[in-house]
Amino acid sequence: MSQRSLTSLLSIVGGLLIWEAVSRFGVDNALFLAAPSQIAYAIWKLGVSGDLWRHIYISGVEFIIGYLIAAALGIAIGLLMAESERAKRILQPWISGIYATPTIALAPLFLLWLGIGIWSKVLVVITLVIFTIIINTEVGLRTTSTRLIEMLKSFGASRSQIFWKVSLPSAMPFVLAGLKLGIGRGLIGVVVAELFGSRAGLGQLISASADSFNMPNLFAAVVILASAGIAMTAGFTWLEKILVPWTND
Amino acid sequence: MAAPKLTVSGLTKKFGELLALNDINLAIEDGEFISIVGPSGCGKTTFLRIVAGLEHSSDGEVRIDSEVVKAAGIDRGFVFQSDNLLPWRTVLANAMIGPEVSRTANAEARSRTIDLLKLVGLGGFENYFPRQLSGGMRQRVNLARALAIDPKVLLMDEPFAALDAQTREIMQTELIRIWEQGRKTVLFVTHQIDEAVFLSDRVFVFARRPGRIREIVKIDLPRPRALSLKRTPEFVGYVDRIWKMIEEDVRESVLVDKE
Repeated sequence: MSQRSLTSLLSIVGGLLIWEAVSRFGVDNALFLAAPSQIAYAIWKLGVSGDLWRHIYISGVEFIIGYLIAAALGIAIGLLMAESERAKRILQPWISGIYATPTIALAPLFLLWLGIGIWSKVLVVITLVIFTIIINTEVGLRTTSTRLIEMLKSFGASRSQIFWKVSLPSAMPFVLAGLKLGIGRGLIGVVVAELFGSRAGLGQLISASADSFNMPNLFAAVVILASAGIAMTAGFTWLEKILVPWTND
Repeated sequence: MAAPKLTVSGLTKKFGELLALNDINLAIEDGEFISIVGPSGCGKTTFLRIVAGLEHSSDGEVRIDSEVVKAAGIDRGFVFQSDNLLPWRTVLANAMIGPEVSRTANAEARSRTIDLLKLVGLGGFENYFPRQLSGGMRQRVNLARALAIDPKVLLMDEPFAALDAQTREIMQTELIRIWEQGRKTVLFVTHQIDEAVFLSDRVFVFARRPGRIREIVKIDLPRPRALSLKRTPEFVGYVDRIWKMIEEDVRESVLVDKE
């Protein structure tokens, strides 16, 4: 193991030890802070009972459906806006406006429209994720180097050739960055939407645990969400190394 | 005598009120190596870009053989000042972009391009990415990319300007070596007089305000040329003569730019 990753590992282990010590000896009441050992035990217990998998499955389905729809639509709308000046004029004010709005506050409304099942959560995830992806895709395409476009033009390239051979590949790093940013926003969307009303899911586990003052279970759900976020973000960083290696230098 | 390879007649370019190029007329024979030198602001790059079809003229016409050309096309290969390589493509895939765009990227074009990469000194580097190459090597790909479409005329826009002095001299001799293999018709824009004299059969000296041809200097130096040529009195004489033609213009442009 390299010196640097060893330092990071020690930092994590040390932090957990301090947390454990503070919650055991510093905080009298387990209501206010759960120790890492208690959280680990809670995760194990939830896993054995099967509850954990049910919650992860529901939240996972909501996240994946919402995220995939947001990615597909977001990239498509981003492409449209970059290619058509008119489409951009029509869509831009709405996108800027909605992006700046805390749309998560609309979650109760979506719940009314679509019911307590997964689809209201899917819609929340879409609204939180899609704008980041639209904006990144559009910027990525629009900032394509004019020198590279001109190089292609010097060979008499058509508009569609310029798009496929230059604009799209050079927008790839931006699109991937948008998708990466969308992960964290999507996870927030799932949890908050479930907090507003749901029958199952990690957000529901958090809200139920909070109602019964079961801090280890609450933290268990948070740890699972954090791990999912970290794993997916790391996955994207790896994907970036494979797909867009030229941006590393 | 055969018709000239490249004919420019009455070419004029205006940017609004500003007359950038005024009534340029020239004829270049097949296989000639022509350089254009002149002070900054004389419109030499604009002229080259119009010939390439990357910009439109306000008046006049450009002919390749006897056909009028208006838009960019694969009868002309353009070597850019910055290499403009696609960072996600390998050296070979970059060099193949011309045949690809003109939908002639068959096995034959591919093997010809591989040969061209060998010719420019990049044999064995086909699968490297641009970020793994030095500036000089990237310019070699730039050149191979323009040659891969087998253009009738090669247009070069200060391709060695961004290179350090030593690399530039090496690239000049390399360009001569490569040119000797096929004797393409070349139009080479540079601000370096010694580079123009060293490479060319004729040097077109441009003047500024408005951009126009001041004089055409025929370079009667034997080929093939080696770097040692640059130290001969004949060579120095040519450089001196051309420098005197544009000296006043350059002084003026320096003063104007300071204002």
